[in-house]
Amino acid sequence: MALTAAERSRYQRHLSLEEVGPEGQEKLKAARVVVIGAGGLGSPSLLYLAASGVGRLGIVDCDRVEASNLQRQVLFDTRDVGRSKAQAARERLAALNPEIEVVAHDVELRAANVGHVLNDYDIVLDGSDRLATRYVVNDACVILRKALVSAAIHRFEGQVITCVPGSGPCYRCLYAEVPEGLVPNCADAGVLGVLPGVLGAIQATEAIKLIVGVGEPLVGRLVVYDALELQFREFAFERRTDCAVCGDRPTITEPRDPPQACDAETAGRIRRLHADELRSLLGGDGRDGEAGLVLVDVREPREFAAGHLPHAVNIPVAELPHRLREIPQDATPVFICRSGARSLAACGVALRAGRPDVCHLEGGMLTWSA
Amino acid sequence: MNCTVRVASPLRSYTNGSAQVQAEGRTVRDLLADLDRRYPGMRFRMIDEQDRMRPHIRLFVNTTAVDTLGDEVQPGDTLHLICALSGG
Repeated sequence: MALTAAERSRYQRHLSLEEVGPEGQEKLKAARVVVIGAGGLGSPSLLYLAASGVGRLGIVDCDRVEASNLQRQVLFDTRDVGRSKAQAARERLAALNPEIEVVAHDVELRAANVGHVLNDYDIVLDGSDRLATRYVVNDACVILRKALVSAAIHRFEGQVITCVPGSGPCYRCLYAEVPEGLVPNCADAGVLGVLPGVLGAIQATEAIKLIVGVGEPLVGRLVVYDALELQFREFAFERRTDCAVCGDRPTITEPRDPPQACDAETAGRIRRLHADELRSLLGGDGRDGEAGLVLVDVREPREFAAGHLPHAVNIPVAELPHRLREIPQDATPVFICRSGARSLAACGVALRAGRPDVCHLEGGMLTWSA
Repeated sequence: MNCTVRVASPLRSYTNGSAQVQAEGRTVRDLLADLDRRYPGMRFRMIDEQDRMRPHIRLFVNTTAVDTLGDEVQPGDTLHLICALSGG
């Protein structure tokens, strides 16, 4: 795929690099990369991949831009608040580099559509903020034999790995599975705005190296970045022969959605309380005695300390399985978290442990204080 | 034997925010037990009721992955507690 005069001018600094040169730039022009999540990680990786001249760039995101995204999601500006992220990102990247094709996929990736979306691309960058998506993407990449560069962030810390099918471990070899709700996301835990800039730029670097065919990819190596100490630490990990998707006897042979924190039957037994309902059940002074309800805040101690409902006890959801006994048997727990995801997971834990009645605050503390 | 323990960001709620703490022991199991004495509840976040590492936790001694909790440690080794992250 020969370069035009305009492209030779635009990519001159790449052409000057012996390791890239016209041949490498033509590979970039022919490359097809899709980025899952136009968030903190997707913003820098998309900007750099577009600027670098990756011929076709896909953006997968079904969310809309929120004001709280702008602290780190540098693809967007204040005027984009309320717009589709995929569409706003497509326009921004097309303006940055009109020489490339940018495709917006305004969808939530699920087992049913992941193959269809990824099929048109060679390399996948995962910067999603849902663990369920991370497993669907990893499994699809192994099955479809796509290279995957996966990164994730939390507060001041980030992790990144590269997976190349047939030449090393996959994401599942590192973390076999993660129960949703046990790992806090950025909305719950907070994140330094510039942190995903570092990790997203590494993801873009890895993609460009794989395309051009230079350097050592981050295969079989987990890099952990600590922004507070400005330390990069590296840990070797291997393909697991018992990995469910890339192992010797895989049990996952097509992408599947991970089990929900609550299955349909369990979900039907959960009493979902809206903030107004809970307020009236508790009475004006917030006491819980009369209604037989115990407020159990399942957020992390730090979040709990920053503000919680009167009389609530704090049991982080990850500790709930062995601390359920702290909730009196004759009381009905009302699980509470920030947004309602972890409290739903807590309901599942309590029901599976044999508790007959459980409630959760739908929408979490966000709706209580709204 | 004294070892350094590096604590993953999501687990620092147990260590009062500290990224690095100390623990005593001859094996990874000993170190985790000592950590749990100092920071109650921390071990259960990493190890389940059947004494298995939870699937979203990885442990490394220096740069080498821990295979079993019986893996031995040397004085001055660093145990890294790594946890899957979900943020994007």
